[in-house]
Amino acid sequence: MIKKDPKGDTDSLLEDVRNDYRAFPEMGIKRCLQCGLCTSNCPAARHSDYDPREMVKMVRDNNPEIMNNPDIWNCFYCYTCGSNCPANNSPCIVNQILRQKILLKGENNARIYEFLAYGYSYLDFGVGSIPSDFFDGLVADFGQKYVELKINLEDIRHDLGLEDYNLKGEALEEVKSILSSSGFTSRLEEFKRCHES
Amino acid sequence: MSTTKSKLEKNHPLTKEEDTKNPEKVGVFLCRCGGNISHTVDMAKLKDSIQADFVGEFENLCSLNCRRHIREEIIDKELDRVVIAACSPITHLKTFQNYADLLNPYMVEMVNIREQCSWVHSDSAKATKKAIELTQSGVEKVKKAQALDKIIRQTEKSAAVFGGGISGITAALSLANQGVKTCIIEKNPTIGGNMVKIGKVFSPEKLAEECSLCILNPIINEVINHKNIRILTKTNLLRAGRRSTHFKIILEKQTGFVHEDLCISCGRCVEVCPVDVPDEWNQKMTTRKAIYKPFAQAVPDVYNIDLENCIRCGKCEKVCTVGAIDFNLKSEIIPLEAGNVVIATGHESFDLNKRPEYGYQRFDDVISQMDLARILGVNGPTQGELLKISDGKRPERVVMVQCTGSRDEKDDGKRYCSKVCCMVALKHASIIRERFPETEVVICYTDMRTVGMYENYLRYVQDKDIKLIRGRPGEVTKKDDKLVVRVEDTLERKPLEIETDMVVLSEAIEPSPGTMRIAQKFNVGLSQDLFIKEKHSKIKPVNTDMERVFVCGTAQGPKDITDSVSQANAAAAKVSEQIKSGTEAEPPVAVIKTSQCNLCGKCMDICGFKAVYRDEENMAIDPMACRGCGACAGQCPQEAIEIKGINDLELYAQIRGLLSDKKEGEIRILAFLDNVGYTAADAIGNNRLCYPEAIRIIKIPSINRIMPHHLMYAFLHGADGVLMAEYPDECMLEAHKAKIKELSESVKNQGIPSDRLRFYKAYAPHYRGLAQQFTRFFEDITREI
Repeated sequence: MIKKDPKGDTDSLLEDVRNDYRAFPEMGIKRCLQCGLCTSNCPAARHSDYDPREMVKMVRDNNPEIMNNPDIWNCFYCYTCGSNCPANNSPCIVNQILRQKILLKGENNARIYEFLAYGYSYLDFGVGSIPSDFFDGLVADFGQKYVELKINLEDIRHDLGLEDYNLKGEALEEVKSILSSSGFTSRLEEFKRCHES
Repeated sequence: MSTTKSKLEKNHPLTKEEDTKNPEKVGVFLCRCGGNISHTVDMAKLKDSIQADFVGEFENLCSLNCRRHIREEIIDKELDRVVIAACSPITHLKTFQNYADLLNPYMVEMVNIREQCSWVHSDSAKATKKAIELTQSGVEKVKKAQALDKIIRQTEKSAAVFGGGISGITAALSLANQGVKTCIIEKNPTIGGNMVKIGKVFSPEKLAEECSLCILNPIINEVINHKNIRILTKTNLLRAGRRSTHFKIILEKQTGFVHEDLCISCGRCVEVCPVDVPDEWNQKMTTRKAIYKPFAQAVPDVYNIDLENCIRCGKCEKVCTVGAIDFNLKSEIIPLEAGNVVIATGHESFDLNKRPEYGYQRFDDVISQMDLARILGVNGPTQGELLKISDGKRPERVVMVQCTGSRDEKDDGKRYCSKVCCMVALKHASIIRERFPETEVVICYTDMRTVGMYENYLRYVQDKDIKLIRGRPGEVTKKDDKLVVRVEDTLERKPLEIETDMVVLSEAIEPSPGTMRIAQKFNVGLSQDLFIKEKHSKIKPVNTDMERVFVCGTAQGPKDITDSVSQANAAAAKVSEQIKSGTEAEPPVAVIKTSQCNLCGKCMDICGFKAVYRDEENMAIDPMACRGCGACAGQCPQEAIEIKGINDLELYAQIRGLLSDKKEGEIRILAFLDNVGYTAADAIGNNRLCYPEAIRIIKIPSINRIMPHHLMYAFLHGADGVLMAEYPDECMLEAHKAKIKELSESVKNQGIPSDRLRFYKAYAPHYRGLAQQFTRFFEDITREI
């Protein structure tokens, strides 16, 4: 994990989270009021036992048990919690940092199998795009408009004087080579293998 | 440092000895302090060594019988000036100025041979030598002293109170009762403020809700009839100018097209007015006419035309039997002179549209606490019946959302607690449960803040069966025809969706733009949260950073009526003190020589005490606000500012005296200490800590008083080091920084090693730090030499 603090992991979960590069400097995790506004707005909390307030509390209490809590995998990064938090905390970012820590320990790899398609989209198109598995759901949510946008996207972009959404040729090769030499590609393969075995 | 010295001599204008001829006679009174001084200092030697017109030695100089000795010697020896070599001027200068009251107080100089000599040095010979030098330096200094008088400024016996709410009314009434001519300036057509609107006030003492208008009415009546009070409604501040004893204020009274003295408030005009306007008095839940009186008991009791909405049809004019309506009336400019100003301009409510997730605008039955107050008010839109706006039916459940906009770090939120909302919610819960027991009340809170005796009120309301849920709601939505409040019951770890008929948002208190405008016109500082800032919340409450401008009520910060009234009375007391005492200012103070001033305004910019201001055509310094720190004098390109009370000649004499008789190889360090630094140095003595004899202390009002030429003078006369210690006063931080830079650069330019000039932040209780600083400085220089 990239750390602001080069010394690496401290024995404090709270400090680890605060020092993570994802945590913005003024993130108010220490000032959390435990008011529960995040949970009241959280779609994952509405449909599962995930409780972002409790997750933040456990991090503040340096309670490592939170890493074993299966519910934290139910957050799907809508960022509503962070946009409303009166203490200017972002439970969503805290969640991401926790997941990263867990994955780096080699645990719970299977949890991100369904996200792998995002990663592969960088290899295939040079940009992050919504995996095709989600297509039907999106059509159900947004209707025919979504289908038309999806089909005509490149034409619409051309009409607007924009370049192609997906990268091609040299640019795509460049992205691929960056992803390969940075270890991104092999990580994807590793997660894929984990799931298949 | 010999090369440095020759360079200095070339550059320094004051290398030649100043005129030392001084015909005035100086007497020196030495105190043994019952052994505290004489056990260490050889008094006989000290007495013999001092050159003065009289030197006497006494056992306890501060004892009353010494008062007689001092007086006698002054008369006998015809002394003009006196040096008291004893203890600290901080504790005893007043005493000795009093004992020597035949002389001007500034002809009395104290030399501290106890805290700065016998108590901090153990070597008798060295201590004696230092005592001699300290005392002789005092003699030289007092020869240059100038007789000064205390400055008395009689503030004009009048006050302008901005804001006619409960705070302004209270302050004005208290002042008027003390004989102060007071003018209440209110922007609205009536006085009374928010208190008349809220209907009921909570009483934690009686465990009841009381009628606010009934409490306020007698006070308002007193205000109306008071011979010392003038009320100006519909009036705004245009300009404010500062003078030495008063403010010149220009006001604009908006016209309401009605002669206030003719209107008999019969109300015929309202009946014929064709224009409907949303009524602010009822939070726009009802309408009023373009000609209106805000509420039945409004003061002044007259109708007003709302110029913005009036269509000038003239119907009201025709029906008015007393000829009070006149469309030719113009706004009036009113000049006002007031000795003091009280800012009591109150607050505004947080704009609930900034929290769209709560649906204030989208759903009729999402209302604010102020809306609810009007609904519950018997003179409100529903005559006090708890009814929904959407369908006029009684709600089965009311959910209150606390901290709407308060304790919220998001950009448009208020970071502070608004302080009253918990009690307001409980008050309304209490009224609802009492009068409409079939309606359930749920309060969603982050923390219940019912501090002090207010806890009694919480218990009283809890007994009426309310439901408290610990959690801050994230959203209010609608499901079918019910409102849904999403909140986590954090104590149960349970996200809830509470179905309800009415949601009441407890809106934050926020500073009003009007308050900020007035602050700007009077040059009064604001807090981080944009309320009026008190000079010091502990020791100077209700004072602002501007002399003779005071603040009370919610203009200063969120607070309830109880606290507002206390604060208003405090502000009135402070105004009264200002007027009655005729404030005394003691030197040191800065004085501008107007003839030399080119009005550049640099002095005004640097002064953190806001003592400098622009009079009609001159720059002026308010001696009451001035601390004599000297920052302005350092900035003045015309050398037009003099610091009375510690002049250059005194400083030079003292510096020279403290550096005299320096032996080969001896080290001398001058320590310029402000009042706090000096107090800390006294504490070093009181605690019998030690530091080197090389340290020689000079008491100054501030390091801002020290100019580069003073420093050069010190180095030239043999100082090996200069320490400047000062308490880091918040309002002068910028001036300090500039001064430190200026002095450091001047030392650098003269080729003096930079570590020979040191700056230190002094704190009275941290005297050990100062003692260490003294010792370290001495050791560093010893190593170098």
